[in-house]
Amino acid sequence: MLELRPILSALWQSKTAALLIALQLMLTLTIVSNAALFIHNRQEKIARPTGMAEKDILAVNFSALAKNYEMPAAVDADLALIRSIPSVIEATHSHKIPLSGSGESLSLFLEPNANKGGFSASYFYVGAGVTEALGMELIAGRDFKATDVQVGDHTSRNTLNAVIVTQQFARQLYPDAHAVGKYLYTGNNNQPIKIIGIVARNLGPHLHQAMAGNTVFFPQLMVVDGSASMTYLVRSEPGQLQEVFNQLEGKLRVRDPQRIISLRTLEAYKKRSYRADNTTIEVLATVITLLATIIALGILGLTSFWVSQRRKQIGVRRALGASRRAIARYFLIENLMVAGTGIALGLAAAQLANKVLVMYFNQPALPLPLLLGCALILLVISLGAALSPALRAANISPALATRSV
Amino acid sequence: MFGYYIALALRSLRTTPILSALMVAAIAVGVGAAMTTLTLNYMMSRNALAHKDDVLYAMQLDNWAPDRGWQSPNEMPWEINYKDAISLLHSDIPTYQVAMHRWGGPLSREDSELRPYSAEARVTSRDFFALFDVPFIYGGSWSSDADSNPVYQIVLSQQTNEKLFNGENSVGRTVNFNGAPFTVVGVTEYWQPSPKVHDLNNGNFKKSAEVFLPFGLHRSFEIYSWGNTNGWKGEVIDSYETHLGSEYVWIQYWVQLDSAQQLEDYRDYLTGFIRQQKAQGRFPRPLKFGLSRPSQWLQLNEVVEDDDYMLNWLSLAFLLVCLVNAVALLLAKFLRKASEAGVRRALGANRRAIFTQHLVESGCIGLAGGLVGIFLTTATLALMRQLQMGALDSVAAMDWLMMSAAIGLAILSSLLAGLYPAWRISRTNPSIYLKTQ
Repeated sequence: MLELRPILSALWQSKTAALLIALQLMLTLTIVSNAALFIHNRQEKIARPTGMAEKDILAVNFSALAKNYEMPAAVDADLALIRSIPSVIEATHSHKIPLSGSGESLSLFLEPNANKGGFSASYFYVGAGVTEALGMELIAGRDFKATDVQVGDHTSRNTLNAVIVTQQFARQLYPDAHAVGKYLYTGNNNQPIKIIGIVARNLGPHLHQAMAGNTVFFPQLMVVDGSASMTYLVRSEPGQLQEVFNQLEGKLRVRDPQRIISLRTLEAYKKRSYRADNTTIEVLATVITLLATIIALGILGLTSFWVSQRRKQIGVRRALGASRRAIARYFLIENLMVAGTGIALGLAAAQLANKVLVMYFNQPALPLPLLLGCALILLVISLGAALSPALRAANISPALATRSV
Repeated sequence: MFGYYIALALRSLRTTPILSALMVAAIAVGVGAAMTTLTLNYMMSRNALAHKDDVLYAMQLDNWAPDRGWQSPNEMPWEINYKDAISLLHSDIPTYQVAMHRWGGPLSREDSELRPYSAEARVTSRDFFALFDVPFIYGGSWSSDADSNPVYQIVLSQQTNEKLFNGENSVGRTVNFNGAPFTVVGVTEYWQPSPKVHDLNNGNFKKSAEVFLPFGLHRSFEIYSWGNTNGWKGEVIDSYETHLGSEYVWIQYWVQLDSAQQLEDYRDYLTGFIRQQKAQGRFPRPLKFGLSRPSQWLQLNEVVEDDDYMLNWLSLAFLLVCLVNAVALLLAKFLRKASEAGVRRALGANRRAIFTQHLVESGCIGLAGGLVGIFLTTATLALMRQLQMGALDSVAAMDWLMMSAAIGLAILSSLLAGLYPAWRISRTNPSIYLKTQ
């Protein structure tokens, strides 16, 4: 029923072209499967929840022009003004902006006066209501109150006495026990800092670090001499951020014109932090699409050529009683054999290339389902490309056999 | 003869427009992809200090923790601390030496309508401009005492001077920075190395500083670096003075050593310096320092990342697929015209002539593919600039070298692709085709 022998002998006649198609499919599968893996990993990284309601959060940053700026009073006035806007849920001050790629980290210790065996975490100096202002889920303990917050600078670590940590960090500190109520130390120092709350998650300032998610919050209004700059994090009702954005800029400027104010959504910071990943994804997706197109066009071109070369033979077969369906099937099976060979070789080549990528470029291993999925899609594409010339072949009239010999 | 081959090639391409277009497209896409990533890598691996590569050195000191090194390839922190920088600045061995870090703040002009804006600053010792070859339009650097005493002098970049003073000679005028009045002493020419080899911890391709300030201002403004500050000791910082005296590293340090003798002397000097510090209980790790030339510094800092190299290989593999595709299509096309070649052979053309003729045809396809490929590359690079939101503006652009490389690559690859089909057609036996006519 399947004309395997005649197909094989016909293929042998144009073995170079068949081999080239197979080679193309092999290379394509190698590239496409590894690129797809790359895209998949980047997408997973971008899709990680940040632990914050970043779509509803605005980061407002200002620098005052005066050298000796009365920061605590200004912050009180600003926050009161921000909270008075109806669609604002909560606002707080912070010395760094989450997801922005700019942040600081420190080592925390379980024992006083230690300097070895610390746990690294990114930290923020924030104000009251930080959990609410960032839309974080508080899973134990409580949020900061106004009375927790001290005014200080880089030098005031030895007077801190409260901290909110992420669950991820709490589990590293106390794998088996409840962390709320326990104490931490900043190293070479015997000032106990009490863990008063645990939030479900916060990716912190650096999205690309392995320790992202080890984040802690200290209740401190950071006032640095010589650089009067401050950030507010403002959460609006869902969907009301643009409204808050529009009002805030003007209101803050009116309250104190002698400063430079810039507003940006946390979502924008997140997008900017992931831009390299996004570019890579887009480039690879384009490469995959182009490759699939090129391979489809190549198969289309070559199958058309084979069909046109064998018009006379097809006419003869039709005249001898072969049905249209048999002719179309012939070309599709021929294509399937060539593509199948290429893809089979590609399965091995893709694994091999992945081994190299794992070894030299720090890439993850290629999972089999992904590879098989890519192989299947390529097979469908190559069959689809052969379909139109095969149908055209089927339409060749048997009368052709009698002509032009 | 060559002109005749080209005429033949064009006629032949016109007879099979779709197949020809497919081939041109395949080569164009392959070349476009390859050239996009090659351009990015080429621009990223440029060295703006190449002309001083044999005299400039980025310096590192290993003052890190006794039990672990810093997480860089040579296990030394990228920066040094303030007190070491101040001590080293006293050495008279280097021709020039620079201690510096990133800072910033509101900048404005007293008697101007211009709204104050936040300016990117570089706090640096005075040799910065001489060491990195930054030319001045007006004025020059501050005096050397400004590196140890608070002197309120400022150097503006050309763009800043354009913004504040409409490009006039502003030397002697006053600007406000961080709430204090500064006297302008110089205006530099446009200077934007890419990658920013002198400052690789703050974004490799970002804009360079808008204003430059003397190194003696730290105490008056209690300046904390806007770059990275790292420590291992967990020191308790209870005043700005303890910050300056701590092991926290936040200063970038460069030296210019013009002769081998100077280099040797400076190595001895650094060895002596570290020994002396060890005697006082500092530098707990084995004695180690780093002097890297700009080219080595770029490599050490991995300006071109693993991802970039991977994309490079990927796009070359992609070009290979496109080439194999072109070979298959060319083969099909040439075989279809085998009878023409047969007639030419019968009329006396030798194999070599047939081969050359077909190779010229492949070359024409390659040239067309290369031109479309350049267009594609330019478009892709423009798209990348947009996707990267400004971060790659200085990198995602083609220069003439890369454009000619694109055409060269296209022609070379299409000639390679045409080699086998042309050889194959030149081997055909003319008698077969003459018989079937």
